[in-house]
Amino acid sequence: MSSLDWTVFLVYLIGIVGFGLWVGRGNLRIDDFFLAGREMRWWAVGLSVMATQISAITFIGTTGQGYNDGMRFLVMYFGLPFAMVVLCVTVVPFFYRARVFTAYEYLEKRFDGPTRTLTSLLFLCSRGLSVGVTLYAPSLVLSVILGWSENATILLMGGTTIVYVMYGGNKSVIWTDVVQMGIVWFGILLCLGIAVSHISESFGIRNALALAQATGRLEIMDTSPSLSKPYTLWSGLVGGLFLMLSYFGCDQSQVQRYLSGSSLTQSRLSLLFNAFLKVPMQFLILLTGVLVFVFYHFQAPPLLWNKVELARLERGAPPEDLARVRARFEAAHAARRTAAQAFGASRSPEATQAYLAAGADLTAARGEVVALVEKTTGKTYGDTNYIFPTYILNELPKGFVGLVIAVIFAAAMSTLSGEFNSLATATMVDFYKRFVRRDAGDAHDLLASRLFTAFWGLFACAIALQAGRLGSAIEVVNRFGSFFYGSILGVFALAILTPRASARGAFWGLILGMATVGVVAATTSVHFLWYNVVGTVAVLVYGLAITALWGVAKPQSS
Amino acid sequence: MSEPREDPVPIFGTWPRIYGAVVILALVVMAFAAFFSKYPF
Repeated sequence: MSSLDWTVFLVYLIGIVGFGLWVGRGNLRIDDFFLAGREMRWWAVGLSVMATQISAITFIGTTGQGYNDGMRFLVMYFGLPFAMVVLCVTVVPFFYRARVFTAYEYLEKRFDGPTRTLTSLLFLCSRGLSVGVTLYAPSLVLSVILGWSENATILLMGGTTIVYVMYGGNKSVIWTDVVQMGIVWFGILLCLGIAVSHISESFGIRNALALAQATGRLEIMDTSPSLSKPYTLWSGLVGGLFLMLSYFGCDQSQVQRYLSGSSLTQSRLSLLFNAFLKVPMQFLILLTGVLVFVFYHFQAPPLLWNKVELARLERGAPPEDLARVRARFEAAHAARRTAAQAFGASRSPEATQAYLAAGADLTAARGEVVALVEKTTGKTYGDTNYIFPTYILNELPKGFVGLVIAVIFAAAMSTLSGEFNSLATATMVDFYKRFVRRDAGDAHDLLASRLFTAFWGLFACAIALQAGRLGSAIEVVNRFGSFFYGSILGVFALAILTPRASARGAFWGLILGMATVGVVAATTSVHFLWYNVVGTVAVLVYGLAITALWGVAKPQSS
Repeated sequence: MSEPREDPVPIFGTWPRIYGAVVILALVVMAFAAFFSKYPF
């Protein structure tokens, strides 16, 4: 990075911490600290909801996904606007009128204490571990691409976020999210604009889109009824709907954002704001990835996107094998460039076939490089997350690189801040104030809340620092989350949709629902987007069956 | 339980109309995505 890039990046980092501390002053009670005094406007909450959902790896990984696989990933968000409407009609009024701090607190009002404790504990376990991954993944990418120390990147990203969230609580989270979301949107439009200008110079935007279309990268609507195929229209609409209902309706990191609205109307509008913006945003991010794919037809891509692995390959692979795969890769790339130019000039069926054959040959050549890496290192190799940062670093002008690194930091920090804050809230409200110090004063509660924030921030840093060694354990954690997301949604559905469901039905329905998802995941090839549907339906069925068998709970006021 | 503050419903006057607008917009965005993926560039 040039000194101008460093200046841009440091201005962002110092500015955002300073701003977070400034807007977060004046917290006197935990209402202020956790719910920003319940006085936020819809647009601020809406941007914060969006910022919490978009992590750095969403930004870098989704562009990489656009490069490798095209735009079909967009269907994952098709269920989101419908989920927002369902939530505005159902859970948001219940949460808001119950004046709760956490989503799980509502379950105690409706069912009983153990159900609240179990759901909150599941949130703490999964979110507490996954927040470490949220911190580790972009730090790893930035350390590889920029040559920064991985540990220093983790501590810089995590440490700066801890400082302002610990001091300012949810008020700092929401207002810094607003700024960070502005930076992320600017970064997306900037990257798209630069990709378009690169393509326009070398090939023309219409040719570029035709080329991407010929490779199937503009294909979005796959209407296949297969349950095991990823990202079909149906898995996006139905599975995506349940995933978004679970995430926005039952995950404290999101619920806490919209509980900070100054009225029920403001909370509802904040979610509907996301319903409008989310799909177009993902569309632009994926389109940027697709244009970067076309750009690398006319610019030589590296042999591997991960330059640390490339250096390892150059040191460890037999020189003659490396020279062979490199020569094959470069020849295949040159042939594809020629075929792409011929395609752009004529668009004839013959030119299209020749281009597709050249593309398949390049894919095969790259497959040989990857096979050599895997043979040399003994590990499976994937580099989707390194494509976009490599493009940024090599192709963007001075100053813009620092800005896009700031965008990646902003995306990561906006997610981390919401998660630290929500983890502290669940710990404080669902456990500490129930089981340890029920009637401590405001000063004590505020101090304890800040200490829990610091604890979860440091815990995330510790997990991230160890993540490289944990390896497959991280994958287990991510899979674990998908096992219970739908099941927790099932408990909320029982609470809100079935007034006669009993506490026993909810508690055991949740456990049996998670077990059912585990069995489906272990014994079938059903795509993970469907797990949420399975979990929700299973909990509803088990919960109602247990209620019918063991009796009906007395309806409680809500 | 105390009732929280309620603001007037903005833009379309009632929530069902607002939800209807969101659903229609979502369908329009999906139709645009389908059109974009099939448009003969």
